[in-house]
Amino acid sequence: MSIVIQGLTKAFGGARALDGVDLDVADGEIHALLGPNGSGKSTLIGCLSGRLKPDLGSMTIGTESVAHFSPREAFAAGTAVIYQHFTLVGSLSVADNVFLGAELRAAGGRIDRARQVSVTREILGRIGARLDPRTPVRSLSVGEKQLVEIAKALRHDPQLLVLDEPTAALSELEARALGQQLRGLRASGLAILYVTHLLSEVFQIADRVTVLRDGRAVLHREIADLAPRDVIAAIAPRGGVEVARRRAPHLADGPAAVSLSGFRAPGVGPIDLTVAQGECVGVFGLLGSGRTELLEGIYGIRGETAGEVALSGAPFRPRSASASLKQGLALVPAERGRQSVFAAMSALDNVLLPFFARIGRRWWRSRRRERRQFADTAALLALDPPSPAAPAATFSGGNQQKLAVGRWLTASSRAQMLLLDDPTQGIDVGARADLYALVRQFVREPGRGVLFSSSDPEEVMALADRALVLARGHVAGELRGDELSPQALLDLAHGHAGGDSAPPSLPTTDRGAQ
Amino acid sequence: MRFDRTSLQRARTRAAASALLLGVVALLLTFSALNDAFLTVDNFRNVFIQASVISVVAVPMALLLIAGKVDLSVGSTLALGAVVTGLLITDGVPLPLAILAGVLAGAVVGLVNGLLVEVWDLSPIIVTLGALTAVRGIALTLAPDPVFGFPDGFLALGENELLGIPYLVLIAVAVFLLGAAVLARMPTGRHVYAIGVNPEAAYLSGVRVRRVGLWLFVATGAAAALAGVMLAARLGSAPSGALGVGFELDVLTAVILGGIAFNGGRGTIAGVFLGVLFLGVLQNGLTLENVPAATAMVVKGAVLVVAAGLDRVAVRSEASAAKVLLGAAGRDPRAPSGRTGEAAQPELAASVDTARAAR
Repeated sequence: MSIVIQGLTKAFGGARALDGVDLDVADGEIHALLGPNGSGKSTLIGCLSGRLKPDLGSMTIGTESVAHFSPREAFAAGTAVIYQHFTLVGSLSVADNVFLGAELRAAGGRIDRARQVSVTREILGRIGARLDPRTPVRSLSVGEKQLVEIAKALRHDPQLLVLDEPTAALSELEARALGQQLRGLRASGLAILYVTHLLSEVFQIADRVTVLRDGRAVLHREIADLAPRDVIAAIAPRGGVEVARRRAPHLADGPAAVSLSGFRAPGVGPIDLTVAQGECVGVFGLLGSGRTELLEGIYGIRGETAGEVALSGAPFRPRSASASLKQGLALVPAERGRQSVFAAMSALDNVLLPFFARIGRRWWRSRRRERRQFADTAALLALDPPSPAAPAATFSGGNQQKLAVGRWLTASSRAQMLLLDDPTQGIDVGARADLYALVRQFVREPGRGVLFSSSDPEEVMALADRALVLARGHVAGELRGDELSPQALLDLAHGHAGGDSAPPSLPTTDRGAQ
Repeated sequence: MRFDRTSLQRARTRAAASALLLGVVALLLTFSALNDAFLTVDNFRNVFIQASVISVVAVPMALLLIAGKVDLSVGSTLALGAVVTGLLITDGVPLPLAILAGVLAGAVVGLVNGLLVEVWDLSPIIVTLGALTAVRGIALTLAPDPVFGFPDGFLALGENELLGIPYLVLIAVAVFLLGAAVLARMPTGRHVYAIGVNPEAAYLSGVRVRRVGLWLFVATGAAAALAGVMLAARLGSAPSGALGVGFELDVLTAVILGGIAFNGGRGTIAGVFLGVLFLGVLQNGLTLENVPAATAMVVKGAVLVVAAGLDRVAVRSEASAAKVLLGAAGRDPRAPSGRTGEAAQPELAASVDTARAAR
């Protein structure tokens, strides 16, 4: 059954996440939904799945038109959403997972395993997946798990299948296989809404494309009428960036703050890379490109690494967080809640935790000096509120990130080389500008360098002196000076040569690292 | 400063502490109304002496819990410490050396527990549950029969006093002060909380997560053995099979009653002090009222559950009240733990080992 969305609007606080979006998906169609981070994709999915209640607009499934769904109604109307993270139970078999919560019963209330296995086999066959329904899910690959998720959704005979970036965690082969299976489903008349970052996939499997930007549908067209360039231009329009850029290309020839040669960590490499002293280098990459693996690998928290690393010319072996910190290498990890912020602890604790012994004495803290140093750091960070005792949980996302970054900017920190993984993810514009200024200020001191990763082209434009583009674990290209533009970044990340209307292809691998 | 007092963590800690303080006061009023023998110097001397043994272990156990771990083997380690010291003394080894050896034996148990948990990544519950049985076995092997016949010098440790305060109580005071100082004033104290709140972030910030955990286990083991030495000195014997059986549960009851979160990140030494005091007064009052031991056990168990329930209610109401009221002058958030030391001195903790002595 087709779905028609009209004038869908949803605001959070004052900001409109969706602003009058029209979108329709026909039966037997694969409709690709693209857009930069924060463009409203997840809000749209939230409305479709009944998790969010739109403020205005209507959604029509089949012939029935509603203003909003409850999750139960969305399910009853035949909407099935498959999220990036899996909802499978590892210790159960494929069939048991597919029927989890809706088990088939035999006489006497027993679970009818035989019938579950045969129905599962039939569903798996429909999507061309050759999996034994009796295999425990734990032993499957990520791609196979994705197929089980789809089978689980199909078990309820959905009318509309929504996939939220299903290929983010998949290898190239698995992504290709998934595309084929979706085409099979399309043939059976299912409407499919496919959210993705990967342009190559869009051109391989989609029938139509909608691009969201700032909550509006800025492109809504048949794929046959489009070239990849058009889509990229819709995602990141040329000239849309108005940031005071700071470029110092000549710096790249100075002494190195950090240099990697043939560096490998699980999921990324080999990579050659140099950050000169005084330089701020951006690593641009989409989800699954290996940007987190690279930064965490250098920091020494990703297990065994190979290749050579040098910090200010001295050889360095990534081993552990504390060993890296001792050498002046610090990381602000990507996941604030899990990896950097102590929600229940005070702002002062969050910033000064590693340095109490340094500020006071080895065995005795000096609260007076801690307070003074915190006040200085809070002023530097423009922390709001600048309160030492407020627990981190009471701060906004942007100010929590300031606490995490401030940890390595405070006077007691000896960090010379800062690694920032997706430093402004999910934070507001004001705090973002503050953080950019802080990072620039940090790198201005002699002997320092910054390596940051981002999936936001504008962020790279705003912060980087030079950018590397990662795709599927390899360097897809390097951009400096005037070459650096949102379009060039996206082109490389999507695996385009950068020429006009290059044919769509899967992202290429190592295109020669410098 | 608006948010200074809204911290759920602090609201919880404060709610638990104030509810517990009310509980202690209520117990004191009830028992003194019921029994003339309750509110006397002699009786409270008794309460404090009994509480001192449990206090010595409750403090490091609290730190271990705040860091998100637990040691279930303290009852057996207590017996091992008592047996090792007792055997050496009766063999004529000088008193300080014998005590040191007993405490070291406990530290070794803690070291093994710590290595298995922190280096081998085994669950603290499983490791220390194993140690609970194994260490009891070691104690029984060393001394198949109760050790007794201690010299007067050792018995004096359990009986004598300094400036009117029993030695045992002085040891407990010292442990409370040390625990409070570690948590409130030493860099490691904040690391302990950080590990309990978010171990991964602590590691990424350069905190030696494993090393801190290891030392906490060593300290708990050593403290448990010291408690064993104290108990042996008081009882005048060290029965390897019976000493400290069920002790881990009493310690955990007092610590959790004191508002230390079982899953880490929350609690203060002041709360632990109140928890120990509450259980000690309760046990003493029930004994004075001639409540049968079996009934006393039911009461103790029920009290723990009720206290946990009240804690939740108090937290909810205080958290919501905090949002509305806020107001009031900002108070140093770490003051409660900082004040522990002073608070610990005048009154000292009470305990529940009367029940054990009765067994």
